Amino acid sequence: MFEENTGSPAAGAGSEQRRERSASTAESGAGTSGVQSNEAVAREPENHGGEVPSAARAVAVALAGWLLPGLGHALLKMWGRALAIFLTVGFLVYLGAGMRGNVFEPGGEDAFARLGYMADAGTGAFYFVARAMEVSGSDVSHAVGDYGTRFLATAGVLNLLAALHAYEAARGRKA
Amino acid sequence: MVPLHFSHFQSLLLFALIISLAFGTLGRRKPIERVKYAAWSFAMFVLVGIALGWLMYPFSK
Repeated sequence: MFEENTGSPAAGAGSEQRRERSASTAESGAGTSGVQSNEAVAREPENHGGEVPSAARAVAVALAGWLLPGLGHALLKMWGRALAIFLTVGFLVYLGAGMRGNVFEPGGEDAFARLGYMADAGTGAFYFVARAMEVSGSDVSHAVGDYGTRFLATAGVLNLLAALHAYEAARGRKA
Repeated sequence: MVPLHFSHFQSLLLFALIISLAFGTLGRRKPIERVKYAAWSFAMFVLVGIALGWLMYPFSK
């Protein structure tokens, strides 16, 4: 779903510089072969706005995005996406808890409960918000409660996907 | 908090709307592409949901 990342500060500045560089190389290198100029461009290290993307930084960004939905993208100055993730995950958690969906607890008895907990925990800090909102417990005896369970799980999976996207963006990859 | 009550179809529409908007915002960059992708996702969520509902209808009796 996240098909492009040209808004990333890590990718944006570097790719613009590379485009300019390849254009100037093509102009000046009229006498040389095009293969050589392309190789020269390919060998040059990527300059991500003066900031070298490191794996540790990318992991930190992903963890931040998981703990607080949207924070990973906010750290990368991708404000629109950060806000969209925060609002979407927050709204899904609010609706899921309001519909009295099942907020799974750790140490579930079967595989479904454990998977449900993993999905719910994907919302990061919002997991505890959902727990706090459901003061009267879950009620999945009605369809609306079952839908609430799905809303909560979807919020978690969506946030995990967003955290993965933030990781890819922090590494300077097209995500 | 006050419990929220929705019907099956209302829940389906709400779910489809939220996820479609998120997909559109996160998956595309140009505004017109975002709107198109969100509308397409919303239509697919609703249509496939209704189709699956009808497919399961014989087993509900």
